[in-house]
Amino acid sequence: MSTTKVPRTRSSMAKREPVLFGTLVAIWLIFAIFIFLPIIRLLLTTFVVDGSISFANLIKIMGKSYNMRALYNSLILATAVAVAGTVLGYIFALAVTRTSLPPFYKGLLGAVTILPLISPPFTSSISLTLALGPNGMLLNALGISDFSIYGFLGTWISETLTYFPVAFMVITAVLNTMSANLDDAALSLGSSRWRMFRTITIPLSLPGIGNSLLLLFGASLADFATPLILGGHTFPVLPTEAYLMITGMFDLKGGASLSFLLLLPALLVFILQRVLIGKKSYVSVTGKNGAKSGFGKLPLSLNIIITAVCTFTVAFILYLYAIILWGSLVKVWGVNNTVTFEHFGYVFAHGKKAITDTLLIATLSTVIGSVLGVLIGYIAQRKNFFAKRIFEFGSMLNYALPGTVVGIAYIIAFNQKPILLTGTLSILVAAYVFRYYATGIRSVIASLAQIDPALEEASFSLGASTVRTFTHVTIPLIIPAVLAGMRYLFIHSMTAISATIFLVSVRWTLLTTRILESMTELQFSQASAFSIVLIVIVFIVDAIMLALMKWSTRKFTQQEAISYEKIGA
Amino acid sequence: MKKLALNLTDVTKTFQKDDGYITAVDKVNLQVEEGEMVTFLGPSGCGKTTTLRMVAGFELPTSGSITIRDQDMTNTPVNKRKIGFVFQNYALFPHMSVYNNVAYGLKARGEKDKDIKDKVKNALLLVGLKDTENRYPSQLSGGEQQRVALARVIVMEPNLLLMDEPLSNLDAKLRIHMRTEIRKLQKTLGITCLYVTHDQSEALSMADRIVVMNKGKVEQVGTAFEIYSNPQSLFVADFIGQANIMHLEVTSLKDEMIEVNTHNGGVFTARCIVPDHIDSSVENYKTGKEAALVIRPESITVIPYKGGEDSFNAVVSSSIFVGSHVEYELTLANNEVIKAFIPYTNKMRIFSEGEEVSFVIDPVNALFLPRKKKKS
Repeated sequence: MSTTKVPRTRSSMAKREPVLFGTLVAIWLIFAIFIFLPIIRLLLTTFVVDGSISFANLIKIMGKSYNMRALYNSLILATAVAVAGTVLGYIFALAVTRTSLPPFYKGLLGAVTILPLISPPFTSSISLTLALGPNGMLLNALGISDFSIYGFLGTWISETLTYFPVAFMVITAVLNTMSANLDDAALSLGSSRWRMFRTITIPLSLPGIGNSLLLLFGASLADFATPLILGGHTFPVLPTEAYLMITGMFDLKGGASLSFLLLLPALLVFILQRVLIGKKSYVSVTGKNGAKSGFGKLPLSLNIIITAVCTFTVAFILYLYAIILWGSLVKVWGVNNTVTFEHFGYVFAHGKKAITDTLLIATLSTVIGSVLGVLIGYIAQRKNFFAKRIFEFGSMLNYALPGTVVGIAYIIAFNQKPILLTGTLSILVAAYVFRYYATGIRSVIASLAQIDPALEEASFSLGASTVRTFTHVTIPLIIPAVLAGMRYLFIHSMTAISATIFLVSVRWTLLTTRILESMTELQFSQASAFSIVLIVIVFIVDAIMLALMKWSTRKFTQQEAISYEKIGA
Repeated sequence: MKKLALNLTDVTKTFQKDDGYITAVDKVNLQVEEGEMVTFLGPSGCGKTTTLRMVAGFELPTSGSITIRDQDMTNTPVNKRKIGFVFQNYALFPHMSVYNNVAYGLKARGEKDKDIKDKVKNALLLVGLKDTENRYPSQLSGGEQQRVALARVIVMEPNLLLMDEPLSNLDAKLRIHMRTEIRKLQKTLGITCLYVTHDQSEALSMADRIVVMNKGKVEQVGTAFEIYSNPQSLFVADFIGQANIMHLEVTSLKDEMIEVNTHNGGVFTARCIVPDHIDSSVENYKTGKEAALVIRPESITVIPYKGGEDSFNAVVSSSIFVGSHVEYELTLANNEVIKAFIPYTNKMRIFSEGEEVSFVIDPVNALFLPRKKKKS
């Protein structure tokens, strides 16, 4: 009886947890097809010439000064946007967390910053064109005639306005977790308000600033729509160059090589960001008692600057959105200001297919992406298995890469047998799913980390199977996180364009591409009308999802404090 | 002999940690009879919870076997074992009402709605919860949550009821109340129960037998009486209740009796324990070497100083009157400190700090245990 048996830890997962094993195999297969295959094909196209490895394509691309200027422009623009957006975001975050501005004003700041987050990425480009472009409304009003919005300046302003809300959210979170006692301590030790701000607030928010810089740098680097509309010929950047090389010159190798140049800094930013987040901020999180005692007041002069900047920015954003609405209602922009609904008529008559296609694709992407996101998040958080790190990295790869790179990789990979998907619905859905399910995965992981595994163990011990436990216990508890992921997926599946611009076809078209077409045809009113329709749809769905999130947690929100807490262990 | 409810044979669990392995549970053997209540007692990290989790099937043993009702269940998944597990933090499903929490297992088993309704009602009655079916866990007090957790498990009529420190989140008064209730319920249902705790009064008062664990090993299994009066190791003697341990030189060995030198030149004789398990960490008794004398504080009598060979001499270093008895700390010449609890009787003389006293030990209530080997 005393013979020692073979250690069972080595027994195969296939036998022990067949459902998990099957799911893992399926997900690996999906990753292989939609994540690893495209990127490998992209690298092969770049580095293999006539069957052998060669840098010829890359050298050829880099030999052209125009391309090198695009690379240089991309990096300069990304840096400028990162800095300006972070500064603006920081000012907004200070306004919300550190000033005594009236609550409704703080609410307004929060609401207005949501607008760019749920709008198509080139909304501000369109309105900037309408305001400051040729025959622009603001230019006419100010009587300026020799001004061009096209080029670095316009792209920079537009991208900063589009992305600073991200900085705002990241920095607000960090500012909120700081302990107010530190402010009190600094003041009680005799430091001035400026000194307190300089020596306490700023140093402790450095992790947020760093994260924000990286996020905005990455976002700007990957932005495709804004430079396409506002960059013009004087200010080429990598994503637009790669796009033009493929759609204009049908040079797949050149496009692939350009996107490789784009891929390197993007991956670098992604890795830096993971390292930064992995280290955890050194902010002293002391429960919530810090926030209650109230942060130290900022110096008066800083308060005035903050209020002025916020008011101006909010007014400008609202003006830009008003301009789009106005643009969609006038007969001919800048020429005939008669109010008319004919552009909306056009949108519903000729753009109906784009609307239904976009909705179908976004819905499919949201559903499929959420299911995958939940499975991947669950497996990554709760299970241990071979090559888990590669699994996690792989799941995030398409999200980390600029959309243009993913788009080019997808046409290269799926343009030929055995997996011929170009022009189909599935390629569009796949592009959205694997780019935008990342938030879902992350929120599921964060949510699961809060839930005591004992709840699942309780279910097993009561005789429930793995599947029943997952559907009856795990899923209901992480529903808010799932909905948060769905929200993000839906918004981006409705509005993102950088990857899918390469993948649209006659059979499947998108609202965003219709907006872009209208812009390039200088049909500003149509573009505005399309944008308004898109924004309204996104806004409604977003509101529904938000309501669902609140509703889904109503039953057990009080419970969280008790049962989610890990006791003992 | 009754049928065995549980049989653990050489159950061992090693965890990988950093670059090495840690043996959390080391060759545990245990037989539990039907209807028995067994508590696992030990300091944190002694392997008691891991053992319980292996019986439940949350963890699989690295080696050894687990038999439940004569069926080998070593590798059986949790949900096929028919065990009930009560968690330290109850693990009630926060998104389900009390009714749905209790009905959860029955539904998973696919029972009829009507049966489920009856059974849930009975189970809730049994644990003393009425009219709570539609409430959510967040609306219940800690004690009520505990009862729901119990109802959820007993409604399944499990082969084994496993409880992992179920009362540690309750306040002291409620804890003592629930202790009796759980024991009563366990006896009424005749259910076999394994109960993990680090609270010794809980372990001693609830169990038919107690398993004392330390560093992954079973130190001793026995009734509360056996464990208290006949500890098989210094660890058990020290861990259960209070014990004085004096190290004294052995002068002669006779059967189960040992004679040692007292510090003042006299001799003292008492019985000794020869541990039934062969443990390499323990030294055998040898003449000329030290043995450990274990004395409960209540087995000591303190008398005025007399200095003879037939008593021990000490200085009172602390004297605390607590009503029912007087607690002394007596410091010996070699700086060892001995505790003595003397029941208070009217007009009894209470010695004060700094006073020289003598004390005698009733040999019947004293016990020799082998010393631990010194690490070289």
